[in-house]
Amino acid sequence: MKKTKLGEFEELVLLTVIVLKEDAYGVEIKRELEERLKETLSVGSIQSALKRMEEKGFLKSEFGEATAVRGGKRKRIYTATPLAVQTLEEIKEVRTQLWASIA
Amino acid sequence: MSKNSSHITPPKWSTRLLRLFLRGQYLEEIQGDLEEVYHDLLGKYSKSKARRIYHLEVLKLIRPSLIRKFSGSQKLNNFGMFKHILLISIRSFQRHKTTFLINLLGLSTGLAATLLILLWVQDERSVDTFHEKNDHLYWVMSNFSINNDVNTWNYTSGKLAEALLNNFPEVKDAVRVGNDFFRPRGTIAFDENYFEANGLFASPNFFEVMTYEMLIGDPEKVIADKGSVTISDEYAQSIFGSIENALGKTISWDNRIFSKEFIVSGVFKAPPKNASIRFNIVLNYENLVEADEWADHWNGGYAQTYLLLKQDTDIDAFNAKIADYLTINTDSDRFQLFVQQYSKNYLYGKYESGIQTGGRIDNVRLFTYIAIFILAIACINFMNLSTAQASKKLKEVGVKKAIGANRTALIFQFLSESILLSIIALVVAVGLVMLVLPQFNHISGKELTLISWKEYILPALSLVLLTGFVAGSYPAFYLSRFKPVTVLKGKFSNLRGEEWIRKGLVIVQFSLSVIFIIGVIVINKQIDFTQKKSLGYDREAIITFREAGSDYSNPQPFFNELMKIPGVLSTANMSGDFLAADDNNSGFSWIEGTEDDDNHLFDSPKVGFNFIETLGLEIVEGRSFSRDFNDGVSSIILNEAAVEYMELENPIGTKIGWGDDREMEVIGVVKDFQYGSLHKKIEPLIIQFRERGKQYFVKLRPGSEQETIAQVEKVFQDVFPGQIFSPSLLADDYKSLYDSENKVADLSNYMAAIAIIVSCLGLFGLAAFTAERKTKEIGIRKTLGASQLIIFQLLTNVFTKTVAIAILISVPIGYYIANSWLQNFAYSIELSWWIFAIAAISAMLLAWFTVGIQTIKAARQNPVDSLRAE
Repeated sequence: MKKTKLGEFEELVLLTVIVLKEDAYGVEIKRELEERLKETLSVGSIQSALKRMEEKGFLKSEFGEATAVRGGKRKRIYTATPLAVQTLEEIKEVRTQLWASIA
Repeated sequence: MSKNSSHITPPKWSTRLLRLFLRGQYLEEIQGDLEEVYHDLLGKYSKSKARRIYHLEVLKLIRPSLIRKFSGSQKLNNFGMFKHILLISIRSFQRHKTTFLINLLGLSTGLAATLLILLWVQDERSVDTFHEKNDHLYWVMSNFSINNDVNTWNYTSGKLAEALLNNFPEVKDAVRVGNDFFRPRGTIAFDENYFEANGLFASPNFFEVMTYEMLIGDPEKVIADKGSVTISDEYAQSIFGSIENALGKTISWDNRIFSKEFIVSGVFKAPPKNASIRFNIVLNYENLVEADEWADHWNGGYAQTYLLLKQDTDIDAFNAKIADYLTINTDSDRFQLFVQQYSKNYLYGKYESGIQTGGRIDNVRLFTYIAIFILAIACINFMNLSTAQASKKLKEVGVKKAIGANRTALIFQFLSESILLSIIALVVAVGLVMLVLPQFNHISGKELTLISWKEYILPALSLVLLTGFVAGSYPAFYLSRFKPVTVLKGKFSNLRGEEWIRKGLVIVQFSLSVIFIIGVIVINKQIDFTQKKSLGYDREAIITFREAGSDYSNPQPFFNELMKIPGVLSTANMSGDFLAADDNNSGFSWIEGTEDDDNHLFDSPKVGFNFIETLGLEIVEGRSFSRDFNDGVSSIILNEAAVEYMELENPIGTKIGWGDDREMEVIGVVKDFQYGSLHKKIEPLIIQFRERGKQYFVKLRPGSEQETIAQVEKVFQDVFPGQIFSPSLLADDYKSLYDSENKVADLSNYMAAIAIIVSCLGLFGLAAFTAERKTKEIGIRKTLGASQLIIFQLLTNVFTKTVAIAILISVPIGYYIANSWLQNFAYSIELSWWIFAIAAISAMLLAWFTVGIQTIKAARQNPVDSLRAE
């Protein structure tokens, strides 16, 4: 078993970060996920997932540009670490194998 | 920062909250995210909805991973500081166990006493406030002027309610109920069982205006007609077994006003504990009018009138408008009407010369002051002990200041320590309160509970914070002032001034204690005096009881039966209540033309044959009422005060007119006796004759009282079947005239004891401290040959002086307070010097005893032990 685990919601957020590339900051992740999941998410849930994953070493982040709608506050752009990509692939692998055994 | 002027800032309040709890390094990012979200929301929804969602979003950010940590450099609030203060406080409690215990004991007893008093005061204040329309519910009072004196009555004409409703637009609704004297009691019979009734005549809208919840029946209709009554749930339970069974049942009710049958039309919830008026059955006021037409006459005073006034009524203006209303409707210009808030009447029920002068509120105030004083004494203990120990804390202050603590932080630290202590004390106090509450209820005659603690948690907490703050403020501001350099060098320059303040506080404490002692002695002496004073009549071994039925036949057969009982010495009757002394009349005329003639309001009991003999009133001239002379309503007996007042030289045979057409003749004069309680002076008295009064008096032969009472009851039941026999001893009834004083006496005894104990605790602590500080001095003195007595004197002298000053201060204050309390009584004890001497000596002895325990220990110590240790 893996020492650091990735929760289901964290996995979704992580995948969204990879999908969004250089646009991967809090609100954009929220919008993207809300659209795909067809449900409303709170800023808190997204942010706490991001912070947890950053602490576990799945994400890196740096400040991006500031915009007017943000009242001049800078965005924080997240990028997935190689560890994250590797972990995601392992999870996918396990799932594929499991689906294969069902069929 | 905003580059775009169209940018709308999100709600400030939430943003501020966000800054408070969010971890600093996340702030810019998340705040930015939120503003962006808010911007999006504004595009989609209305502003208010957007704001609402924004607030929610902020709240949803309170998550362990996003908020500040409890420790480290980015901590939430000043957690570390709190932790440090808590640690220091607990360590200091552990190190100075005696001081801690004294403080805790003192504060918790003080707080417990205060909490109890708070509960009591709150309960007193809540009386009658349960009516939903309480804010606009008023009671019409009347001032009756006679002979330059004004009597204030809470009853008015039965016509007034309706007239005020029809003629004054301010009046929204008006209720009349029968006054205290016209309450139908007697017994109710159902199914051959008899139940004691406590009834109330009321107008049909009674249950709409007043809040007594109707369980069964329509509040507007239950007493709409004369033949219907509503009963309380408790009463329904005891008569019919359940409230559902009550409806529609027929009961017969016999009392001194009527004897009729009624149908139960409704059941109401019995008046709550904090209702000033209690009743278990209500019926239409018209029943009273039917029995006595004066109940609905402008010149009668049978009703109490309650008004529901409109919201914006100016009470003063309204009072001015109704003041002369009775003059217009009666031929008398002696009445002035005014309204008083219905619920205020309980606490502010006392009037002198027509002016509101207090009432129960006096006791409420008295006990509030006592609570404050007790708490002050406990706080002073804390202040004294902490300043006394200042020298021990100086090093701590010095070190902290040297490494950069500012004064505010130190003040905060010391205040926290005292607040922590008072919170611990509160917990102990609540325990104490729960422990003594049953006993307290017994003394105060209340049914207080701690169940509704939610109401008290806030006042209790603010009380604790206040106590902690007051107790801790002096040490906090005092200790934090020291200069680190001086302190660390070991110089305490200003200890002298500090000692003075300490002495001053001890003086305050002991002054309060001495005042308490004086108060307790005076109250108890006065109560004792009221019980022992010769009243001019016998009250031992006399039982009295009332026959409450409607039967007004000649009581002679009843007396004849009673006299057959060997244990009965004598029997008598009167109409009305003897001890309440509330029966009075005016309109007597003895010399035509003088101003007092016709106008003086005389106390005027109406008694039957043998009354004067049974109660042992002394006839000084003439004779008593007698069958041999065929005495009737035209025979009267005066007391000496009346003879003097009327300036009669030969009272016997004097004709006295009453009203327009009655003439009465004085047949005798009795020696002055105390009519009613000692609150009242002996006034001119006209004793009238009524043969068929229903208040009976039976004098018992000493020795076999119990047996005789049982026999009297049997005769009573035979003669008055269905009436309830509830005898009481005249002596007990007399005692209950002083119920209020007795309660005050009992409570103040306990409170004074607490105050004194807490004061002594403080003194004990101080003495312990002084002895400890002087250990070396004592050691040296002893090696040089000082005796134990000299050491004892050395240590007690300071306290002796302090307590002596306290006594000097408190005696005049105590005298003043005791004197003004005694003014409530027409006859009171002398404030002799020995009362103050006892108070002073006992305070002094207590102080010596307290200090003595400590000093003897110190004086006996082997000097080697104290000098060796460095």
